[in-house]
Order: sequence, then structure tokens, then C-alpha cells
Amino acid sequence: MARFFDKLLNLDRRWLFLLVFLGVAVPIILPIGLPVTTTGPTRSAFEYIEALKPGDYVIISFDYGPSSAPENDPMAEGIMRQCFLKKIRVVVIVLYQLGGLQLASNSVAKVSAEFPNLKYGVDYVNLGYKDGAAAVMKRMGDDIAGAFPTDVRGTPLSQIPIMKGLRSLRQVSVVVTVATGLIGEYWITQAHQQSGVPVIVGPTAVGAPKYYAYLNAGQLVGMLGGMKGAAEYEKLLAARYPELGRFYKTTRAFTATKGMDAQTVIHFVIILFILIGNIAFMSRRAAQKKA
Amino acid sequence: MPDIGTWVAALLTLFAFSFLYKDNPLFRFTESLFAGVSLGYYVGTTLNQTLVPNLIKPLTHDFNQNWDLLVPGLLGLLLYMRYVPKTGWVARYALGIYVAYYIGLDFTRRIHGEVLPQLGRAIVPLSHLDGHTIFYSLIFAIGVFSVLIYFFFSKEQDQFTRRIARVGIWFLMVSFGAAFGFTVMGRVALLIGRLNFLILDWIYPLIGIR
Amino acid sequence: MNFEFGRVALVVLFALLPIVGIALGFFVPALRARGPLFVAFFAGIIPILSLYIPRQFLSGETGMRPRLDQWLIIVYGFALLLGIVNVIQNGSRKIARREKGWPYSAVLMTGLFLTGGLGIWGAVSGQGITTLPDGSGTPFKWIADHFFLPLQATIFALLAFFMASAAFRAFRARNTEATILLAAGIVVMAGRVPLLEFLSSPFPPLQPTAAVASQGLGKLTEWIMSTPNGAAQSGIIIGAALGAASMAIRVILGIERGYLGLGGGE
Repeated sequence: MARFFDKLLNLDRRWLFLLVFLGVAVPIILPIGLPVTTTGPTRSAFEYIEALKPGDYVIISFDYGPSSAPENDPMAEGIMRQCFLKKIRVVVIVLYQLGGLQLASNSVAKVSAEFPNLKYGVDYVNLGYKDGAAAVMKRMGDDIAGAFPTDVRGTPLSQIPIMKGLRSLRQVSVVVTVATGLIGEYWITQAHQQSGVPVIVGPTAVGAPKYYAYLNAGQLVGMLGGMKGAAEYEKLLAARYPELGRFYKTTRAFTATKGMDAQTVIHFVIILFILIGNIAFMSRRAAQKKA
Repeated sequence: MPDIGTWVAALLTLFAFSFLYKDNPLFRFTESLFAGVSLGYYVGTTLNQTLVPNLIKPLTHDFNQNWDLLVPGLLGLLLYMRYVPKTGWVARYALGIYVAYYIGLDFTRRIHGEVLPQLGRAIVPLSHLDGHTIFYSLIFAIGVFSVLIYFFFSKEQDQFTRRIARVGIWFLMVSFGAAFGFTVMGRVALLIGRLNFLILDWIYPLIGIR
Repeated sequence: MNFEFGRVALVVLFALLPIVGIALGFFVPALRARGPLFVAFFAGIIPILSLYIPRQFLSGETGMRPRLDQWLIIVYGFALLLGIVNVIQNGSRKIARREKGWPYSAVLMTGLFLTGGLGIWGAVSGQGITTLPDGSGTPFKWIADHFFLPLQATIFALLAFFMASAAFRAFRARNTEATILLAAGIVVMAGRVPLLEFLSSPFPPLQPTAAVASQGLGKLTEWIMSTPNGAAQSGIIIGAALGAASMAIRVILGIERGYLGLGGGE
């Protein structure tokens, strides 16, 4: 038995990699369709946007890159779909330098194609990327055009109809920051504190534990934590909007709900790894003590 | 059949994954390409999205209104003087302004956005000890203050504070364990995204599955 | 020309003063450290004072702080590209001297100049770097979509494998603290996904119990995240924030000078 555990503990890690690969690949090829349950922070975020009225302004800040796209893309796109259905005016900005602009442009193109009745510049706009996140938020607190003089294509803000009624963050109903890293925290600790704009954060799972402190302190109106949070949001959208329910059931594109199957299997695999590793370790320690 | 862009992305993904078997020239090539393309991406994005609309266009289209933007433009260029051997010290002016400004913003952010709201949440009335107060507010307050005591290094801890610090360590361990659980979730999500692309967007069209 | 107070004051503080400082610095070496610290003081104090002194000259429409925000957005852009000069210098040297691994430096430089060149072309031609007026993507966008995005995603996706390997080989319940950590980790990992539903899926009679247990586990996970985790994170945030705030004061007052490459005595 001791030899078996010794062999197990010295197993070539490439076998572990193979198990992880299979744990993710098999549910993608053979979907299971496991249920998703919603949690309080996600429901708060959803209901906050549901309570907004047509014509209200929402800023969606793409503060993430390709390194967290599978978690954050579904969040940003889900919220955009909800805003478009409610005729809420969406202003997209990007403050994350490593790939945020491409992801924002791709998401805006993808979701706006689902709503051909909405017009760029009237119902939604993409202001593009800007360096210096903290300085940008500070400037936006007084004058958005001071930080973003043009949209992503270089059109001056004065020529964009949707921006005519929006001067600063104080007129924005909520900022949704879909974030990896510090920029999400800047929205909460700087923009919200100094200009009063409510904030919903969609952090990656890696960053989510810290945001619970801000949620507890009332500095956030809602939070979508990682891919699970995105899947919860998709479930809430599908329940409230039947057309989105059909969309999420039939789309070939990646959705967070589809990713939860693989997520569940891998969590099981890793829990097993931890348990087996510790059992083997304790058995070896007991055998050594005996000897 | 997948298009050329999908082929490029798929092959680069496989080259990167080859590192899991062992380090090899294909992975090193991919790693170097990634570093180069990332830096080039910085150049393109910063130039097109910040320097042109916020500096160059305002100066060229309406100089009278924006003449003062010459200063940040020159300060930005001054930063690069650090690469000139004899006059590198000149860049300190630009660097000092840049660092001090952002640190000034950070100061107000930390006090008003972090310390005060977090302390406000921890200091709540505990006069009425019902179930909700115990399981949420009391445990929360104990956690915050024991962690703060653990992190107090200005004076050597006595027996009493060491016991409280130990409670703080337990709260930290729960937090780190939870963070580990969430980190697993986060990292696996990336892998799910990549394999989803490889299987559904590359392999399936390649073998004719819709 | 627009001579609002804010703009003029900023030009005096951050253009004229540095010019005088640089000119004097060529003759008085001691000023090469003191001059930048003096100017940096104003750059740091303006954002702080503007929050506490709501006066027109400081935080009003024509005041100093709003315009300084716009300036530093621009300076940040230049600063972001600073490291690229270093990379080009090192890479060129490696290739010229045929040092070990020079072909990889050549690959790096090719990627940098190709992508950066397309970005510069986008700025010079006015095309930009996203989509053209007809809706098609620019060459920069093609490189970003098919090289940059997949590469960044994949390099980070490798971490999942190493984390799983670490979970098996390194995460040991050696003492009380480690056991608490692992227990919390396992509960959170089990509670955030429908694990019990997955495990009971081959056993239909167990599914209702599994669903109820899963709900309970989910509630426990949420409590762990909001209360013990929230408390610890709150403590960490407060401690780190106080430390960062005191460091900010030290930098602004010129006590901390390491960021300028200066030692304590300079």
C-alpha cells in the first residue's frame, strides 16, 4: 500500500494534465446540461438594471483582456442584450490596455447585429480605449468629452447624438465594469466614491473574493463572479426575456451556461486530486512514523 | 472548412499547449511571437486611441484652444531622455510629475474609497444579538479586527494580541482557501474557452460537423 | 488663445519650472535631484487638495485639476511605451551579436514591428485599428484577432494545468491553518458549481436530495464568501490602503525617492 501511494505521489504530471484535458474536453463534446442556481449579488445586479427606464444611460467598461474572455465576454454581452431590450442607452468604453479594445469591438459588433433596429451613435456608442484609467475616471466625473474627445473611429463626441444628453458620470444610471485586475476597484473606490455613480462589477473568478468586501460595504449594487456569475445572469435573462431564452438555447456561440458543465467536472477532478494527494501523504507519514 | 484566421489561431494554440509535454522550439517561437505582438499591440492602441485623439488632433485642429497640450506631449517625450546616457537625469522631471500625480489620486482613493467605507461596514451596532447579527455582523467585526491586529507589526505582540492574531490567521486561511477555489474556477474557465474554440470552431468544421 | 487660469498655472508649474530646473541642473548637479522632487510635489498635491478645497481655481471648470487630468492621460500613453525602447535595444543587441536564443529575439522583433507598424499606419492613414467604414476589419484588427487574442488566452490557459498538478502534489493539510485553507477551498469549489447534481446524475432516486443539499452548500458558500472571506478581505484592504496612503505622502513630500533612481542621500 505504501508503495502504491509512493508511486501515486511521484506520478508524471503529464498524466494529470491529460486528466484535466479530458475533464474539460469531454463535456464540450458531450454536453451534460447541468442546472445553474442564482445567488444574491447577481440577482441584485440584474434587478438594478431591470429597474432602469428607456433612455437611461449605462456605461459598460470593458476592463479585461483575452486572458479572462471566456468569463467576462458572456457578462458584458448579457448586460448589453438586457440594455438593448429595455432601450437603455449604452456607452461602451475600454480602460484595459491588453486586448480590451478588440474584445469590446467584437462584442459590440456581435450583440448589435442581434438588434438591427438599433442605431450606432443613437442607441449605443463605442468610445474606444483610453490610457490612464484613474485619470480618465477622474475626468469623466466632470466631463466625459474631456477624457474621450472622440469615439473609437475618431468621430468627435459633439457629432454623436447619444452623447448630447450625457456630460459626466453624474448623469449615468450605472457603470458596469467587467474587470480583471485593479480597474474594477478604481471604479468603486474612486469613481463611485467621488461622483456617486452606482457600480456593478463583473470580475473574473480570480478577483471576485476581494469584491465581496466592497459589496458588504455597500459600494456596489451588484456583482457577477466569474463564469458562474455570467451563467447566473444568462439564466435570469432567459427567465425574464423568452426571446433570449430561445437565443441561449439555440446559439452555437460559447455561453457561460455551456461552460459550467466543464467547470463542474474539473472542480470534481481537482477536489479528487486534493483528497487523493492528502490521503497518500497522510498514509506515507503514518508509515514513516510506524517505521 | 475553417478560414485562414482560424487555422492561424488554432496552430498557435496547439504550439503553446505543446509546452505541457515538454519545452520545445515551437513553444519558444510562440512565446516570442506573443511578446512581440503584445508590444506592437500596445503601440497601435496607445497611438490610435490616446495620442491621436487626445493630443495630436486637438493641437492640429484647434491650437488656440489646446495650446497647453504641448506640455504633456513634451513631458511624454522627455520620459525617453532616460535612454540618453549623459542627460538621462532630465527625464526625472517627467517621471516625477507622472508618478506623483497618480499617487496623489491613489491617496484620495485609498482613504475615501477603501479605509472609511470598510471601517464603516465593520463598526456596526451589536447591541441586539439575534441570529443575523451573530452570523453576519459579529463574526464580520471579529474577522476584520483580528486580521488588522495580525498585520500590526509596529510593536511586538504580547500574549493577548498574539491570540487575537491567531484568530485573524484563521480568517485569512478561510479567505485564501476561498480565493483558491475561485482561482481554480477562473483558470479553468480560460481552458474551457480555448478548448471550446479548438473543438467547436476548428476541429468540427474541419471534419464537417456543424 | 485660451488663457484660463488652470492652463496657465499648469504651464508655469510643469513647463516653465522644469525648464528652469533643467537649465540650472547643467550647472548645479544638486538640483538634478531636488528640482524634480519640487515639481513632483505640486503634481501630487493638486489632486488631493482639489478634493478638499472645492474652489474654482483648483477643481472648477477652468481650474487646474481637470486640465491636469487630461494632461496625465496623455503622459500615461507615452509612459506605457517606455519599455518598448528597452526591448528593441536588447533584442537588436542579441541579434547583432548572435547571442544564444537570437532567432527568438528576431521573432519577437518581427512581431513587434509588424503589429506596431500596422498600428502606426492606422494612425497616419486615418483608418484606425478597428473597422473600416465598409465594416471590414483593418490589418491591425486581423493580427489582433488571430494572433494576439488567441496567444494571450492560451498562455494563461496553461495555468489551469499547473494548478491541477499543484493541487495533487503540493496542497497538504500539514497543520491546522493549512487544513482550514483546504477545507474552505473544497467547500467553495463544490458550492459554486452543481457538483452534487453532477454526481447524482447516474442515480435518479438521489437527485431530489442532491438538489436540496446543493442549495444548502451554495448558501454555505455564499456565507463563507460574504462573512469570513469578506472580513479578511476588508482587513487586508484597510491595512494595505493605510500603507499605500502613507507611501503616497512620502513620495509627494520627497521623502521616498527610489522611483526616480535616487538614493536617500541625494
